[in-house]
Amino acid sequence: MPNIRVLRDIKARNGVQTNELLRRAYLFVARNETLSPQVRHQAQLQLNTFGKYARPTTVKNRCAESGRGRGVMSEFALCRYQFRLKALNGDLPGVKKASW
Amino acid sequence: MASIPPARIARIVSTRCSIFETFYNPQSLRTGAKYLRARLRGPSMVKYYPQEINIAKAIRAYPELEMVNKAEVQRLQDVEDKKKRGKGAPKKAKDKADSRRATRKR
Repeated sequence: MPNIRVLRDIKARNGVQTNELLRRAYLFVARNETLSPQVRHQAQLQLNTFGKYARPTTVKNRCAESGRGRGVMSEFALCRYQFRLKALNGDLPGVKKASW
Repeated sequence: MASIPPARIARIVSTRCSIFETFYNPQSLRTGAKYLRARLRGPSMVKYYPQEINIAKAIRAYPELEMVNKAEVQRLQDVEDKKKRGKGAPKKAKDKADSRRATRKR
């Protein structure tokens, strides 16, 4: 069972996906210097109405196993300790302990 | 070397834009095109965490298979055991006085 921080992150990811197209359209209008300032301002106001879970910057790659937010290897979605445990256990194909 | 008048350079640039079908933007204004050009990031973001099966939901969806959620059974058993030892959750407060008594510091 994922912890609350992971659940919140999943919520943010889903929010980003559902609102992405509309946000992009508003961003295009708001950042377009060839349009009139009134229109751009209205678009910016619309952008501000989206919740915080619609912004891609809210999303953070967390450990899928422990929910840890730091020391996460995004390729495996695991934090360094869980990565070590799984690698030593042989659960990660192609990963083995270095020795020379 | 003879210098080229700026008006002529501008005409060359606008001609080039019409040939290669690019946006003629002599003042270098921001058009916001990068927000349209960039790929959508949502689909890959959603796929980051591996999909987990909701056991309780699966059991509810297929009652004819008579599956058992071991973790849930264990939890209910633990709650019962705690109640027997007098370590269960306190009763809900019925009125304000009860709730004050519950939060009182000892």
